[in-house]
Amino acid sequence: MKPFLSVRRTRLPEYALCVGLALLGMHSLQASSHREAPLIANDPLADNTDLYAFRSPDNPNTITIIANYIPAELPYGGPNYFSFGENIRYEIHIDNNTATPGDDIIYRFTFQRVNEDPTTFFNIRLGKQNLKTTYTVERSTNGGLSFQTILSGGVVPPTNIGPRSIESGAGLGAANYRELISGAIANATTGERVFCGPVDDPFYVDLGSIFDLGDAPRQNGRVRDGLAKFNVHTISLQIPISTLQKDGKAAGQAANILDGDYVIGIWASASRRAMRTLNTDGTAPTDMGAWVQVSRLGMPLTNEVLIPLGFKDQWNFQTPYEDLGNLGVYGNFFYNPELALYMDDSQFGGAVPAFRGLRIQSNSLGAFDFRNGKDGLFGLKGNPALAGTALDDAVFGTLLLPAAGSPRSVDLWPIFHTGVPNLRPYQLATGKNGDPLAAGKPFINNFLPNGGDMLRLNMAVPPTPRNDPQFSPLGIVQAAVLGLTDPAYNANANLQFIPNMDGFPNGRRLEDDVTRIELQAVGGVALAAIGLWYDDYLPGQVPSPVTNQLINVLQYSTGVEANDAPFTSEFPYLADPWRGTETGAPEE
Amino acid sequence: MKQYCLLLIGLFAAQIALASSHREAPLISDDPLADNTDLYAFRSPDNPNTITIIAAYVPMQLPHGGPNYYGFGENIRYEIHIDNNIATPGDDIIYRFTFKKVFEDPSTFFYVRLGKQNHKTTYTLEKSTDGGATFQIVINNGVVPPNNIGPRSIEGGAGLNTTYNALMSSATLTAMSGEKVFCGPTDDPFFVDLGGVFDLGDMPRQGGSKPRDGVACLNVSTIALQIPIEMLQKDGKSAGQAANILDGDYVIGIWASASRRQIRTLNTAGTEMYSGDWVQVSRLGMPLTNEAVIPIGSKDLWNATTPYEDLANLSVFGPYFYNPELALYMDDSQFGTAVPAFAPLRIQSTSLGAFDFRNGKDGLFVLKGNPALAGTALDDAVFGTLLLPAAGSPRSVDLWPIFHTGVPNLRPYQLATGKNGDPLATGKPFINNFLPNGGDMLRLNMAVPPTPRNDPGFSTLGIVNAAVLGLTDPTYAGNADLQFIPNMDGFPNGRRLEDDVTLIELQAVSGVALAAIGLWYDDYVPGQTPSPVTPQLLNVLTYNTGIGQNDTTFRSSFPYVQAPWSGTSRCSGEGRDYTQPQILDPTVSVSGLNAPEIIATNFPNPFEKTTAFKYRLRNDGRVSIQIFDLNGKLVETLVNRSQSAGEYQVEWNAGNRPAGVYLAAVSFENGPAQTIRLNKAK
Repeated sequence: MKPFLSVRRTRLPEYALCVGLALLGMHSLQASSHREAPLIANDPLADNTDLYAFRSPDNPNTITIIANYIPAELPYGGPNYFSFGENIRYEIHIDNNTATPGDDIIYRFTFQRVNEDPTTFFNIRLGKQNLKTTYTVERSTNGGLSFQTILSGGVVPPTNIGPRSIESGAGLGAANYRELISGAIANATTGERVFCGPVDDPFYVDLGSIFDLGDAPRQNGRVRDGLAKFNVHTISLQIPISTLQKDGKAAGQAANILDGDYVIGIWASASRRAMRTLNTDGTAPTDMGAWVQVSRLGMPLTNEVLIPLGFKDQWNFQTPYEDLGNLGVYGNFFYNPELALYMDDSQFGGAVPAFRGLRIQSNSLGAFDFRNGKDGLFGLKGNPALAGTALDDAVFGTLLLPAAGSPRSVDLWPIFHTGVPNLRPYQLATGKNGDPLAAGKPFINNFLPNGGDMLRLNMAVPPTPRNDPQFSPLGIVQAAVLGLTDPAYNANANLQFIPNMDGFPNGRRLEDDVTRIELQAVGGVALAAIGLWYDDYLPGQVPSPVTNQLINVLQYSTGVEANDAPFTSEFPYLADPWRGTETGAPEE
Repeated sequence: MKQYCLLLIGLFAAQIALASSHREAPLISDDPLADNTDLYAFRSPDNPNTITIIAAYVPMQLPHGGPNYYGFGENIRYEIHIDNNIATPGDDIIYRFTFKKVFEDPSTFFYVRLGKQNHKTTYTLEKSTDGGATFQIVINNGVVPPNNIGPRSIEGGAGLNTTYNALMSSATLTAMSGEKVFCGPTDDPFFVDLGGVFDLGDMPRQGGSKPRDGVACLNVSTIALQIPIEMLQKDGKSAGQAANILDGDYVIGIWASASRRQIRTLNTAGTEMYSGDWVQVSRLGMPLTNEAVIPIGSKDLWNATTPYEDLANLSVFGPYFYNPELALYMDDSQFGTAVPAFAPLRIQSTSLGAFDFRNGKDGLFVLKGNPALAGTALDDAVFGTLLLPAAGSPRSVDLWPIFHTGVPNLRPYQLATGKNGDPLATGKPFINNFLPNGGDMLRLNMAVPPTPRNDPGFSTLGIVNAAVLGLTDPTYAGNADLQFIPNMDGFPNGRRLEDDVTLIELQAVSGVALAAIGLWYDDYVPGQTPSPVTPQLLNVLTYNTGIGQNDTTFRSSFPYVQAPWSGTSRCSGEGRDYTQPQILDPTVSVSGLNAPEIIATNFPNPFEKTTAFKYRLRNDGRVSIQIFDLNGKLVETLVNRSQSAGEYQVEWNAGNRPAGVYLAAVSFENGPAQTIRLNKAK
């Protein structure tokens, strides 16, 4: 093998690495969606925390969708432990066809609680359980016009209070907690598998440091997983691909692993009735009126760190299908994201030392400035070089190059709102010969251009086994690294399966480190990936585009890189909820 | 005498429960902003002419719970109520706090940035002295300190550029009517093993697992008031004017609440509207009442009613005190054997050979109408039938009154000192917090002097400890006269921040209060057993929950509670090991004039198993060579030590590492690093 660094015109063994990384990483930011907006922070039962969607590794004819609610549940939060709320509609929405307006499939979950023994203050006693929760699943396949009940009397396992409550004879006398989870997995009449219940929060992030003005990774002291040993309530679904694909096709019928007909967009929500009236006799409030959406979640972290405080509540109350209509309000939060101010020395970059490895291109290829307020690629508007690319107005309209002063309209905005098409310039640099607008090696197609914030997944992409040595929490970023540097993949510009092409942002697997990837993306790594290199690459002067600035971005990490509990190998994949008697305040 | 004195301990301890009032009822658990967690009231140790009242709200706030950190809610009335006179119906004084929030910079997702604060909270304090008929504003625009997010937000120049102590100090205000006031986030002063106790009463833990303070490292939103005693005393008298330290005219009852408007309407634009009457959604008087005395079926009703409705609801709530659920777990004829952690706590079933206080039994009701009761608090002619309402209500004589009337300085509620074996006889006075309005309140006799917190006699067992001293310490046990005994100012005579109410209340449920007035445990047989301090009593006295104090200190002056845990402290999550890779200078540097302090090369590259680094130092200094993979993970540290100027060589054996690209960061004195790309083939 030749010296790695001396880049060749044709093979780009190594600047390839960068490229891949970037594009896929292109989401936004830091901590999923826990307590992310003022109003919903006051209504934890209806607060979406995370949404995952991935092709099931052990059952590749299905997609697993996991929507979590109720942030930062203390496992020992008794005597009234956390549970799904009544009078709330928890919903998972799927768009599989841009030709039909709005959702194509909706799953609606509603919960009921009963007290089996109202004479005790304990949650569980002598086989009886208080706040015992059951649920109904309804499904709509006509955009919400009508719903059909596909599961009723579904059982939510109790809180994992402790061994006396779960296993002992004075409690439930269960063999173990896992048995309660297994027993609660139900089959809908329409073929989906369903699980609703408390689980370990699969997300991981150093919340405290990030929200202390962006101190991630911490510049002093140990990094900390702020969600370690907390639980959430999960709604998990495992759905046959043929149920989700717009024409009812199975996985095996896909034309290829990036078949555009297999892209779905997923978002989750919670709604409450418009009017709540408190009763003075201590009975539950009376809820009535129309249902009002109070929380939503598609891409991780959108409302946590992209939407500023003044708009967070409004964002939660609207559907993704309203995003395009609100482009005048929300667009700029993606075109000129606040986080980018902290990765730009002409703005507040100097004030956020933890981000100093992340510096946005200000003079890429000697021509393009992607810092907030600059023009990015808008200078190419109307240029014949764009003809036939996704940036050509004739191809997708003006969405990707809407105006001057909107530099991130070409990377951050589409990843959140349309997905990434398998089209120039959104291909791996492999085969591009130095021209970012040229055709390269395909590696992603989750394009579903409805303009709304959703998690988009191409179901035709095969899953990477979790025990594969190549499996990586960097998701498609890692697929790009392999596609650009591994001789098994970088020898040609053909479409091939590369491990982790089934990872974020092509859907989102439980393991994917979205915080890190999204911060790298705001740092411009996606732009670099398509050949819009960092400032310290001078074509003809510097031998390789893998410059120190790019290396800094690739090496950037928040330091918290994995969940605190292992996932399991079968549905619902999540770890048991932490036991109330086995956790406590962090000790060191 | 010496020993059975300890018994006294019981009486005062006679409250209930387990864990104050965090998430204590189903409905309020879903509305954390309006959830009362704890209420404290004590004579201020550093300012004994005042009473400090602390009401805490919003349970279990994670210090790192951003980006929208916890705090007081808008459209909620947070109130502290005081009854100082049973001749006037209802509250005599009400303090009402309402909060407003503004965003100083709605263009950021950060809570604090460049001197601006979002969710910036201010409050209005109104006061009523006519039972709530009218209110007068006594503080306008009171400032709530920001959350203690971390050093960059609080101290840093990009943040508020101050200190948290300064923020707390400047938020301590004086109302126009003279009270000192503080509202803001603080450490949760409560302590309890939540995980253990709510796993069917496993406290202290039996399986060998370690007890854990379930509210350690968590914050609450505190309302603290410091009020001159003459403002609270019904006739405007100051502390010095009390007839004695148990002067009954100095008893106040305190309770806290939160109320919301009856109707909330959600608007699709992402806003809320509130209208209609105010409805109480949370209340708190005695600790743990609604947590562990009221069962789940009645908890919401309890929260929705005021203490002044408790008497009218006696048929609903009374039995929870007469026959408390917890007592089932301290009684072998019930579920006692199913709760091994409570094994030391066993209720009297045949006290003095005659009285059975287990649930469903008659207790002292067998004495009803007996002339021996004449002139005691149990005489119907004195207090009516409240203390001996019916058969089958054994704890009507101890648990019920402590929660609903306070304890009078009257037979039989006096220390055993001087009783000569007859529990109904006159003994040494030690408490009088009697305010018989029938409602669940925290009752404090303001005439009792405070015990200095640094006094060697200060004890978290409150009046329990005062009883021990009053019965065993020669300074106090020599006579039956009224004397000040340390900790007479403690729970249940009010509640100090330090008081271990969980422990005391569990002992009380097990009957230690009854024992204290001479209703000894079953293993004391008069005339046969030498001392009433029997093994059963000692078991109760030595019972311990395993968590006996708060996880941080208290302050020596108002508001006494500690600053909130910082969002970047150890409380902000589990630590992870991580070494940040060195940040590399741009490949093409704009400046770069000086010759580097260190120059390194390696050979071979690409390599298969090992590669050697040669480097030269111009000066003495610390050298570091670290190998990272492309994901930034530290793979190995080859050199990290001080070296003299000169030439060196070090080898990296990467035999078992996967093939691929690695980066060697070479730096001198932590300066900018030189990076060498290493290509490991196969």
